[in-house]
Amino acid sequence: MKKLTPSKDRKQDRLNFVEYWANYVRTHPDKEWSRQQNILINSMMKNAKNSKLTPKQYLKIKGEL
Amino acid sequence: MKFINRNTIKLDKEANDLDEFVFDFINILKKHTDYVIVSGYVAILLGRSRTTEDIDIFIHEFSKDAFNKFYNELLKNDYWCLNSEDVNEIFDYLSEGLPVRFALINTTIPNFEIKVAKKILDKESFKDRLTVITKLGKIYISSLERQIAFKRYYLKSDKDIEDAKHIEELFKDDIDIRKIDKYKQLLSKSQ
Repeated sequence: MKKLTPSKDRKQDRLNFVEYWANYVRTHPDKEWSRQQNILINSMMKNAKNSKLTPKQYLKIKGEL
Repeated sequence: MKFINRNTIKLDKEANDLDEFVFDFINILKKHTDYVIVSGYVAILLGRSRTTEDIDIFIHEFSKDAFNKFYNELLKNDYWCLNSEDVNEIFDYLSEGLPVRFALINTTIPNFEIKVAKKILDKESFKDRLTVITKLGKIYISSLERQIAFKRYYLKSDKDIEDAKHIEELFKDDIDIRKIDKYKQLLSKSQ
């Protein structure tokens, strides 16, 4: 698999990682990449439960109120 | 993951808490109307290493009666609408083409942003949608080419460009570049 290319430009560096990760997903079994992805996603879902935002506050942040 | 035919992707990933959250909602929604998932969750379902606070869904027009049944089933399953508690008001928002958000009761994130597909481009996303077969069941997502065009040439935020890049890299052998160009042109006309 192609190595991750570093960049001094933050935006480019992120895009390089997106490309690297997409290649990883493409070339590895679903079970393997999803176990790694799930650590990130399950952690967010756990944190979301602690959010104290009311609907009104949330919609205001989103610019929908 | 791989295409098993022109319109179907087979995905053998381990489900996460967000997937379960999405499938629980979709299992209610699909009993009442047709749908297609668009935007961020599509990239995430297909492996993108990020998360999201909302899942965007286009739906077909509801009758008032069908919407009432859908809403009542959501309430029974501990969801609430972030925009209003008045079923008539929520229905009016949807009928006017405005998006409404549903989340599990007493929470705000993550949530589902559902919107009736009214514009031609939105309606067309039903025609060439993809079925993704997962361990939790099947789910409908927008075509990859539509996702790429919409994110790269319409939404254009850093996050959207990255989502487009992920899908392009992942499915570089399957994507129809001509379709992306076609959607790009249609999107520029609609702006």
